[in-house]
Amino acid sequence: MASNTLVSRRGSTSRKSARRRSEGGAERARQRTLISPAQLGRPRGKAVYWIVFGLVMVVFTAVFLGPLYWMVTGGLKTTQEVVQSPPTAFPSSIHTENYSQAWTVMDLSKLLFNTLYYAFGALAFQLIFDVAAAYSLSKLRPVFGKVILGMMLATLMIPATVLVVPQYLTVLDVPLVQRNLVNSPWAIWLPSVTNAFNIFLLKRFFDSIPGELLDAAAMDGASPLRTLRSIILPISRPILGVVSIFAVVGVWKDFLWPMLTLPDPGKQTLNVGIYSLASGVPENVLIAALTIASIPTLLIFLLFQRNIMSGLTAGGLKG
Amino acid sequence: MRSAGLRRTRRISRASAAALVTALALTSLASCGTSSSKDDDSSSSSKGSSDPSAPLDPKTKVTISIDCMPPAAKAAELREWKEDIKTFNEKYPNVTINGKSTPGQCNEPPRFTAMLKGKSQPDVFYAYFSDLQQVLDNDGAEDISAYVTDKTVPALKDIQPQVVDVARKDGKLYGLPTSNYTMGLMINRKLFKQAGLDPNTPPATWDEVRAAAKKIAGLGKGISGYGEYSAGNNGGWHFAATQFGLGGDVVDATGKKAAFNNETGKQVLQQLHDMRWEDDSMGKTQLLKWGDLQKQIASDKLGMFLAAPDDIAYMVQQLGASYETFGLGPIPGAKGTLFGGNNYLIKKGSSPDQIKAAIAWLNFKNLTPGKGQFDWARTKADKLPVGLPQPNFFLGESKTKDDAARAANATMPVENFKAFMDNPVPGKAEPPKAQEIYKILDNAMSGVLTNRNADVDKLLSTAEQQVNQVLANQ
Amino acid sequence: MSAPTLSPRKATRPRPGHPGPARRDSAREEFLRALRRNISAHGFLIGAVLCFSLFSWYPMVREFILAFQKNEDGTTTWAGWSNLTYVFNDPAFWQAWRNTLLFTVLALLLGFVVPFAVAVVLNEFRHGQGYLRLLVYLPVMLPPVASVLLFKYFYDPGYGLFNRILGIFHLPEQQWLQDTSTSMLSVVIAATWMNMGGATLIYLAALQGIPGELYEAAELDGAGLLRKIWHVTIPQTRLILSLLLLMQIIATMQVFTEPFLLTNGAGPEGSTTTVVYLIYQYAFNFNNYGSAAALGLVLLVVLAGFSAVYVRLSRSSED
Repeated sequence: MASNTLVSRRGSTSRKSARRRSEGGAERARQRTLISPAQLGRPRGKAVYWIVFGLVMVVFTAVFLGPLYWMVTGGLKTTQEVVQSPPTAFPSSIHTENYSQAWTVMDLSKLLFNTLYYAFGALAFQLIFDVAAAYSLSKLRPVFGKVILGMMLATLMIPATVLVVPQYLTVLDVPLVQRNLVNSPWAIWLPSVTNAFNIFLLKRFFDSIPGELLDAAAMDGASPLRTLRSIILPISRPILGVVSIFAVVGVWKDFLWPMLTLPDPGKQTLNVGIYSLASGVPENVLIAALTIASIPTLLIFLLFQRNIMSGLTAGGLKG
Repeated sequence: MRSAGLRRTRRISRASAAALVTALALTSLASCGTSSSKDDDSSSSSKGSSDPSAPLDPKTKVTISIDCMPPAAKAAELREWKEDIKTFNEKYPNVTINGKSTPGQCNEPPRFTAMLKGKSQPDVFYAYFSDLQQVLDNDGAEDISAYVTDKTVPALKDIQPQVVDVARKDGKLYGLPTSNYTMGLMINRKLFKQAGLDPNTPPATWDEVRAAAKKIAGLGKGISGYGEYSAGNNGGWHFAATQFGLGGDVVDATGKKAAFNNETGKQVLQQLHDMRWEDDSMGKTQLLKWGDLQKQIASDKLGMFLAAPDDIAYMVQQLGASYETFGLGPIPGAKGTLFGGNNYLIKKGSSPDQIKAAIAWLNFKNLTPGKGQFDWARTKADKLPVGLPQPNFFLGESKTKDDAARAANATMPVENFKAFMDNPVPGKAEPPKAQEIYKILDNAMSGVLTNRNADVDKLLSTAEQQVNQVLANQ
Repeated sequence: MSAPTLSPRKATRPRPGHPGPARRDSAREEFLRALRRNISAHGFLIGAVLCFSLFSWYPMVREFILAFQKNEDGTTTWAGWSNLTYVFNDPAFWQAWRNTLLFTVLALLLGFVVPFAVAVVLNEFRHGQGYLRLLVYLPVMLPPVASVLLFKYFYDPGYGLFNRILGIFHLPEQQWLQDTSTSMLSVVIAATWMNMGGATLIYLAALQGIPGELYEAAELDGAGLLRKIWHVTIPQTRLILSLLLLMQIIATMQVFTEPFLLTNGAGPEGSTTTVVYLIYQYAFNFNNYGSAAALGLVLLVVLAGFSAVYVRLSRSSED
């Protein structure tokens, strides 16, 4: 949630700095920060720097990797050992069967597949509808466009959880079409489109695309759809990346909504599935399940960390 | 979340699948014969009789959907279900039963709520005893009073009245039971032996519980003597159970006033507080909910807790424990015990034939000694558990027969449950607005279990005030 | 799964290339062009607008209606103010608000200050920044259920890791989640660990936008480390700080998942019951949708206040 904000900020300072950084050239374009280079250059400065640095490295590694280590090894212990006091640092005997048991008993492949299916479905819907809407509001400027945008942005102020009850009742019996979306992926996909923040981000980005470009296209007789496809979208890659991350992560991390709308155990998401089965398996199997559940996103993150992190910060700032 | 009492029972359907006993087959076949012989008005119309009290015409062509069919993962139970349908169809060849299975639990409160709100329940749907009001608020069930008679459900007179009556409101009957439970004291026999206690005589009073808990906790290695819930509305649920055992109550007879701020109420909280803080026999981890204590006792880290017999099947089948580990005694105090269970209701708007078909099926599958779920020989042959004290809602002759068949086919040491079986405690239903009240009482339970300096009187009077508010707010 | 047809209607696109002579009735031509433009613009909008109508705007209206209705014995009737009085008379109501406010305050102290401090420190490092950033962001990528259950194990007063660590440093053992005085703090610590990555990266990006000359100027004035932070770093990032602050207030007031999973909702003596959890209880455990909606309405009013501030701030920042 918090990370969203930054992206909307387009401080002139940051742009300047970005420029400066790029001008900095190959030589470690380090920009001047809080502590002056001169101070750091002195022997005492150097010593303090390295002490602090070493401390931070150790503490951060322990704080952020420690729990992961505990999780991976916890999944290898026996039930008795997991709840043993004091806890052991290394499993006294290795039980890899916990992992296979977790995989089958909790039907993790199904849960993983479901979650990915919902996440990427939601992504597709958001990319289609939200991009189209932002484009329309930014460039085609229909009558009532301002009103519609205002009403969309108003939903930003009303947090999702407040509307959980009426939204849920709506999904039970969708007006106009009279359908019960419970246990169907549409219950995740369609509400995900109502992401005013993403529309706002996209619209801002589109606003910054010079009108002349589009006018030229219009002169050539390009339809709005073609303009969108061949001019707008190619230059919007960074913002599309950011929006995509938000869309996927949003679904991946959601708990209350999928718990309510996808109660069928065969259709649950990873979070909800593990939660609802947690009481039914021994602790070590549960921990093994948690490990397995964490792997896919961690893997994606490690593989694409550069894109994701820069998408979150620089890309967003430029947006 | 919802009262654990209810959550637990769902598993009963799995644990107690259906079977066939030679000895009992004769008697039950006979009873089946009598019921069919009474179908004398069947010829009157091929569409079935319009008289609700008449049993289903065997020729009637009708389809019903029903939930809580065993999922594919429970192969043996599913096979039994199919077998039962086959047998049933020999008599009613034109009745099609569309079973719907659920991989997890048959009734999960959020899903159940959604189902009722969306009116998407099957024709015959599975519910907890205490769900009736919610179902009626959503206009979800058909009044079947006129359909349920001695003809349609021959064993009716032999079913404990209170098990049937939970599905009654304002004199109208809405469902038929499939299982029931009453709470008792579950013990870990291994730990009892290790602590030098006699596992065949579980503690019968709270003083004995406390003494035993102390001894078991004395074994060390993170073992606690007694365990109790204090979260997820389960704390309040067990408060009620303990209170009932001591002869106390939660809500008075009028249903408008809290009735627990008294000596027994104080005793419940005080003894928990003392076991937790003075004896240190309840372990450090609190805020437990349903499932946590089962895990502890299944991994031999817990000596005793209040539970219903079907927990044993759960712990054996899901948590890898063995039947020999567990013993069962009556609830300490034994003045009364909380009872609950499941039943099947019939969806509002079902046709009379559907209702009749549903009742015929439910009667065959769940309410006939020696048949369906009470076919213990088959259950044993399928390597499913036989010998748990419950479900057991029969009286009189039916009970005698059923108990005999159960004992004859037992797959577990039933003598471990002798103390529970030999000392039946009168069952008491859950209070009105149970979930709201349990939520409030959770605070009192977590208060004494997490706060050494908890003020029992204050916790009780606060809870009393809050419960009165909830009851006044109806 | 037939869904409501939401695909953007293949808009009857205006063909700007139309060779239309008609120069006299240019007013009419103008009008037609505007019409065509509007049709296509609304065509692009329709998908998002439909989703918003169904899953956002309509539920908002419905929230108000529900709050004044009740369901009894199969009939829905108007309840007047009784749902609201029920809510206000529920002893858990005030407790839930106190808890939510406590959570918000703690979450701000930890979840707001910690990432900023971490960002300031990381920004000074000449080495290992990539690795440290990766570490901080790692938990964000874990499924929340995994992180939360991990912390549940760590907090366990019997075999938990945290008490073990305290023991190593000869500190008194804590009851963590099981003590009314520390339960909420424990929830916040877990929540901070899970979510601080996003905020940290945002601050880092903002810090890199601070022109180095400002620090140099401050040093010329003889400013020390803390004064530099106070007079340069914070004012320069003020905007992002204030925006994140508000986002965080709004986000934390809706907290549900963490207390729900860590303490099974209520916590010791109800000390982690939050407003959203109470809404959940009303609706899905007590089957009392009217009161749930009424409580949602109350939360809405409070959050709308915060949101109004947020909008004002982000407006003023835009200029």
